[in-house]
Amino acid sequence: MSIQLSIRGMAKRYKTGEGVSDINLDVRKGELITLLGPSGCGKTTVLRSIGGFLKPDAGDILIEDRSVIALPPEKRPTSMVFQSYNLWPHMSVYDNLAFGLQIRKKPKAEIRESIADVLRLVRLPGAEKKSPAQLSGGQQQRVALARSLLLKPAVLLLDEPFSALDAKLRHEMREELREIQSQTGLTMVFVTHDQEEALSLSDRIVVMNHGRIEQIAAPQNIYNEPESLYVAQFIGKMNFLEGVVEADVIRVGELAVPNAKRLAGPAAVVAVRPEDVNLDSGIKEGLPGAVKQIMVLGHYAEVSVNLGKHGIIRSFQSKDAAQALSLGQHVRVSFAKVTSFPKE
Amino acid sequence: MIKGRKEAVLGLIMVSPAFLLLLIIVVLPIVQTFVVSLHSEDGGYDLSRYAFLFTDRLMRMNIVFTLKVTVISSLLVLLVSYAMALFMSFSSGKLVDLIRKTYMIPLFIPGVIATYGLINLLGNHGWLSRMLLPLGIALPRLIFDEKGIVIANLWFNIPFTTMLLTSALAGIPASVIESAKDIGAGRLSVFLRVIFPLSYKTFLVALTFVFMSVIGSFTAPYLLGPNSPQMLGVSMQQVFGIFREQEQAAAMAVFTFLLCSVLGYFYIRSMAKDEAARM
Ligand SMILES: Nc1ncnc2c1ncn2[C@@H]1O[C@H](COP(=O)(O)OP(=O)(O)O)[C@@H](O)[C@H]1O
Ligand SMILES: [Mg+2]
Repeated sequence: MSIQLSIRGMAKRYKTGEGVSDINLDVRKGELITLLGPSGCGKTTVLRSIGGFLKPDAGDILIEDRSVIALPPEKRPTSMVFQSYNLWPHMSVYDNLAFGLQIRKKPKAEIRESIADVLRLVRLPGAEKKSPAQLSGGQQQRVALARSLLLKPAVLLLDEPFSALDAKLRHEMREELREIQSQTGLTMVFVTHDQEEALSLSDRIVVMNHGRIEQIAAPQNIYNEPESLYVAQFIGKMNFLEGVVEADVIRVGELAVPNAKRLAGPAAVVAVRPEDVNLDSGIKEGLPGAVKQIMVLGHYAEVSVNLGKHGIIRSFQSKDAAQALSLGQHVRVSFAKVTSFPKE
Repeated sequence: MIKGRKEAVLGLIMVSPAFLLLLIIVVLPIVQTFVVSLHSEDGGYDLSRYAFLFTDRLMRMNIVFTLKVTVISSLLVLLVSYAMALFMSFSSGKLVDLIRKTYMIPLFIPGVIATYGLINLLGNHGWLSRMLLPLGIALPRLIFDEKGIVIANLWFNIPFTTMLLTSALAGIPASVIESAKDIGAGRLSVFLRVIFPLSYKTFLVALTFVFMSVIGSFTAPYLLGPNSPQMLGVSMQQVFGIFREQEQAAAMAVFTFLLCSVLGYFYIRSMAKDEAARM
């Protein structure tokens, strides 16, 4: 797979001292990559630099192996779908969509046809004559998406495009976007602070924190093998326990887990997903604890166990297994899979 | 129901002072002036005062001259003000800062003083011609000429018009301009397809303001205009004060009012159209 977009050593510092630094990222052709991180971590800054709306202080940005760093937005082969839609309020849907094609001097008949096509693609067939004010938020965002799709950009940029929509619509739009991406084969960079959105949508996720990239990996790898304590905390639910490094193992009370990363110690943080926490009442191994709370959440249950000085650990159990437990019951806790991090 | 009626009455009471004021200082004088303008020389009522406006050669010249100066001034003011507003809104730098700090100054200088200032600057032996003399450049006649009036109109009208247009441009979100650039629109396309359509309403308001202020102007044309032809305001004063033909002056006033109304009509019509389009 060829590299469609390459960001090399990019940095941007605002006057306030905030910004991003050391951004290195290669996006493959046809890939949907997500920039994920809490608000203020610099996602928009990276995206706007790709689109040409911001001039980075350092580094280079290449699209299809050509540096675009010196080009203004209107000359870049990118197109952006903004969080606030940014349709032109005085133009009809048709004119909103036609503008970019008219600039590219496409013949009128072709424009009309491709607008009808793209409106079908975003599930708004026949909306040409409507004005943006007559459309709902979701519909406006579909038009904005259509406007970018029409131009067949080398890289499509999306800045939290669905965050202003309600939850149900957001799910729908996510699925549609995924479908559109597989139909068009466009390369997309998608910004979101919603990890569920990132996990469900992306080929790969770029986790950002404080203006830096923490990890770049496929969703399941981000989830299963977080590279830093930050990523482990940010993605999904995770239990954290303090451990003591003893050469090949890390000891958490009576339990020893392998020191897979060969941490130097003396202290380490052991991270366990709730689904990897086993509860047993019959065995002698494992950390002793007492069931503190049982929350049935549909087909599964979240069981909290008090481990005394190791704090409270959460475990996901099947509904049946959870119903076999009672409050205050003594159990032994063991881990199917752990990740460890140096203690900061 | 009763509450509704009470509120309606209260509303009427509250708007009535404004309405009365409008009646006393605008509507009544117009009606009065119109009645006066219908008096003929032999004591009857007819339209002879209006006929005179179009049959008398000098009067006709004055009307044409007034319209010409008004149209040229309005266009130039709008052009310069719009350019300045665009520059201030979409550029940055030392020059922009300087313009932003100084462009309102003419508003704070009394009209008569400013007019004498212009005469001193642009007159036959004024500052400018004295400065240009060593360079071998001779100025065309500016003062006591229509060019002088136009220049004065620029001085008086550009600041306020620029302010009006700047605030209109400030109301255009940067985001819609960004999305235009994003789809590949260059400066000209962004201007023609996005910025102008989103500010043309204010443009129209500004045009109406400038047109009315220029067509009814007196101080500058009186002090630095030619003796003939004259702007209608100056001519009106002459007919009224020197020739003591109150009825003829009234006819000229009503005619000027009608000229302004034409523009007002187009303005209101376009507002109503927009209103209807939004329904
Ligand atoms: N124009 C600006 N001037 C100063 N600081 C800014 C500007 N834009 C963003 N920032 C700051 O830079 C940081 C990153 O912002 P941004 O890229 O918008 O984050 P995100 O999109 O992840 O929420 C934030 O702390 C923000 O306050
Ligand atoms: Mg953002």
